[in-house]
Amino acid sequence: MYKYRAQLTKGDEIRYISHLDYAGVMERAIRRAKLPAAYTEGFNPHLKMSFASPLSLGVTSDAEYMDFELTKPLCQPEIFDKLSAALPPGIRLIKLKPVKEPKPCEGKKHKALMAEVEQGIYEVVAPLIGDWDVAVKAVERYNAASEVNYHRVTPKKTRDIEVKQYMIEPVKIGMSGDWVKLTMNISITQTGSIKPAEILELLYNEYGLPVALGRALINRCKLMGQGKDLIDLV
Amino acid sequence: MIKLEPEILQAVEKPARYTGHELNAVHKDWDEVDCHFALAMADTYEVGMSNLGLKILYEVLNNRQDTACERVYAPWTDMEAIMRDRSIPLFSLESFTEIKNFDFLGFTLQYEMIYSNILNMLDLAGIPIWTKDRNDEDTFIVGGGPTVYNTEPIADFFDFFILGEGEEVISEVAKTFVKWKREGKPGGRKGFLKEVAKLEGIYVPSFYNVKYNEKGYFSSIEPKEPEARDKIYKRVIRDLDSVHFVEKPVMPYIGIVHDRIMLELFRGCTRGCRFCQAGTSYRPIRERSREYLRELARKLVDSSGYNEMSLTSLSSADYSCLGELVDDLFADFEGEKVSFSLPSLRIDSFSIDLAHKMQQVRKSGLTFAPEAGTQRLRDVINKGVTEENLMTAVEAAFKQGWKQVKLYFMMGLPTETDEDIVGIARLAEKVARKYKEVKGKWGVTVTISVSCFVPKPHTPFQWFGQLPKDEFERRQRLLKDSITERAVKFHYHDARVSVLEGAISRGDRRISQVIYQAWKDGAKFDGWTDLFKEDVWHEAFRKCGIDMKEYSERTRDFDEPLPWEHTTPGVSKDFLKREWNKAVAEQLTEDCRRGKCSGCGVCPSLKVDIVDWKRKEGEVKANV
Repeated sequence: MYKYRAQLTKGDEIRYISHLDYAGVMERAIRRAKLPAAYTEGFNPHLKMSFASPLSLGVTSDAEYMDFELTKPLCQPEIFDKLSAALPPGIRLIKLKPVKEPKPCEGKKHKALMAEVEQGIYEVVAPLIGDWDVAVKAVERYNAASEVNYHRVTPKKTRDIEVKQYMIEPVKIGMSGDWVKLTMNISITQTGSIKPAEILELLYNEYGLPVALGRALINRCKLMGQGKDLIDLV
Repeated sequence: MIKLEPEILQAVEKPARYTGHELNAVHKDWDEVDCHFALAMADTYEVGMSNLGLKILYEVLNNRQDTACERVYAPWTDMEAIMRDRSIPLFSLESFTEIKNFDFLGFTLQYEMIYSNILNMLDLAGIPIWTKDRNDEDTFIVGGGPTVYNTEPIADFFDFFILGEGEEVISEVAKTFVKWKREGKPGGRKGFLKEVAKLEGIYVPSFYNVKYNEKGYFSSIEPKEPEARDKIYKRVIRDLDSVHFVEKPVMPYIGIVHDRIMLELFRGCTRGCRFCQAGTSYRPIRERSREYLRELARKLVDSSGYNEMSLTSLSSADYSCLGELVDDLFADFEGEKVSFSLPSLRIDSFSIDLAHKMQQVRKSGLTFAPEAGTQRLRDVINKGVTEENLMTAVEAAFKQGWKQVKLYFMMGLPTETDEDIVGIARLAEKVARKYKEVKGKWGVTVTISVSCFVPKPHTPFQWFGQLPKDEFERRQRLLKDSITERAVKFHYHDARVSVLEGAISRGDRRISQVIYQAWKDGAKFDGWTDLFKEDVWHEAFRKCGIDMKEYSERTRDFDEPLPWEHTTPGVSKDFLKREWNKAVAEQLTEDCRRGKCSGCGVCPSLKVDIVDWKRKEGEVKANV
């Protein structure tokens, strides 16, 4: 089997489809591309493909990662072109690399894509509906707090999460036209993380960030492990 | 252009229903075309996107250079509430244009219980609900699909209907429109309707006067414009290989009801089940050729990326070259992991063998439709299936490893007695015991699904009075109490909905007022059990002074004029009467595709013939 890693986008056109739907869309794209894809065994064969960290509904991304396997080694440009041509609106292929499996003598295999993820960088934009100074202060106060709790309610359970443990860097604030631009560098661990939308909610509710929350847009800019983009880990 | 804010899309269930941009969707420059056609289904995105007819017409219309065709479906209740609250009008999924800016809004009429949703969509679009209230600037409202063989209950909401198969006529409509528009729209709205009424298969309800007799029953419908015909016959495609079929289906980003390729093998079914409206309205059998189907299958897999293909038709196992076609498809898609399925199985071992071959290892469950519990009643409905056929078929299935069988029945058929109801339970139990006999142990599930019979126009049972709701419910209880075997599971339809469907499907033009009233009072998504508001509908009939039971339960007289006879699929009234008499006499009628012509009248009146690739030269039936 020949494994490849793709860096893909999730554009504005499809920001409202779920992670599972995104995987289904990619599966059909690979089939349309007529690549010699490898399938799982069993009664209900599926393409051998795996994804990095799932994206929340409504979030776009420049850093979606997918590993997939082919039964024949094709050259990178051929796969890149065929797959690119088969993608639907809203998904672009940015980079593609073969995953070099370590030789048996070198010991362990490549980690699963999902397990490599350690860090996500997000950009959040929202219309400013008040003073710029107030916005800056709100972010400063958030950054200065030693402990911040987020009360996460899901259909299954409710729990409090300490947010600051996941902040790799302080939240940065900037302006783009009348929109506030926040950059969040978040740690993603095996045991948990915090979502950019949740940080935004805290900034709005607890720190008085003066933005139109309902019009906020979130984009994942990078997904990293060991301080590098996931595409550079192969 | 309608732009939905993130906070709206974040607040609704399945927001991708409203965001478009799917692969293979066609985007044209609005100003570059003369004809703007919105194709609609008055149901959710997932249901609408699964409809084969809409997929075909979408491509046919978009293949015209002068026409842009876009899609629109009914917003779910959560989205509707937001749209009404913020005055967001109904919009299309390609260019996000307001629906009222389109020249045409075409609804596929799949079943009666979506009529309230049609009114709701018109209202959301800001288009006047009643035809009479529309002016020259308004969108033309068009209907087509299975329920067009009685359009009277919705006649006052539609500018015109297209009867029968739409591939050719929809293009003629667009062409007529473009010509009329380029000529400066002579005669205004009515001028166009006069032009379009000249096309075969087009019914313009406002061009007719309807009369009722002293008892209040429908007595006549007469043309009041020279362009209006006395009788409108459905359109039919003579050679299915010659018309466009779906080649590049719009690919949804989210799961839809039929999330797979639909390859339509043929149209029509002449087995002649007497309750079946599809059986009379899609006549005669016309098969696509094996070569064309192979070619289509390849195009569809390549353009969609789907790995599942359903070989669809009214009775797919009747496709004359099915064995060979399946072999072809298996060979063509070897190594591509494409799986094939048959949506409807015949009750015989050929079907079981084929299903076994197609499913390979996965044994999901088999579905058969004996329709009635006793041989006597199966003869009444001309379901040419015996208990022995069923037992042979399930025996073969159990030997092949199937453990789940679903059996479809109907309740409330003409001449039905309690014995026939109990017979359903007995038959299901025999099937369950057959499993024990074959396998030497229990472990089968036999699910019986029983619907409430709704008599439909243009069928031999069109005169028959439907059972009252209470009687349906009594028979449901009787059946439930008659089941003694634990392996048999019983599902039944909501009789409240069936009797309403019974009243509307044989309604006349006065039912429009009831539908309007029910919609005004909050009826919508009536086909969704949890949203069905029985009280609202009963109240609507009461407010309009119309007795629902006169429509559902009254047995019509043979000589009585019926409100749907002027819009016909071509089956003659004599044929229907003959079939009724044979039903009561428990006599069978042969399938005409290979056997004797039953004289239904379709072939001669529509100048069409059976296309059956295996029908031998010498066996060509004598035309009556």
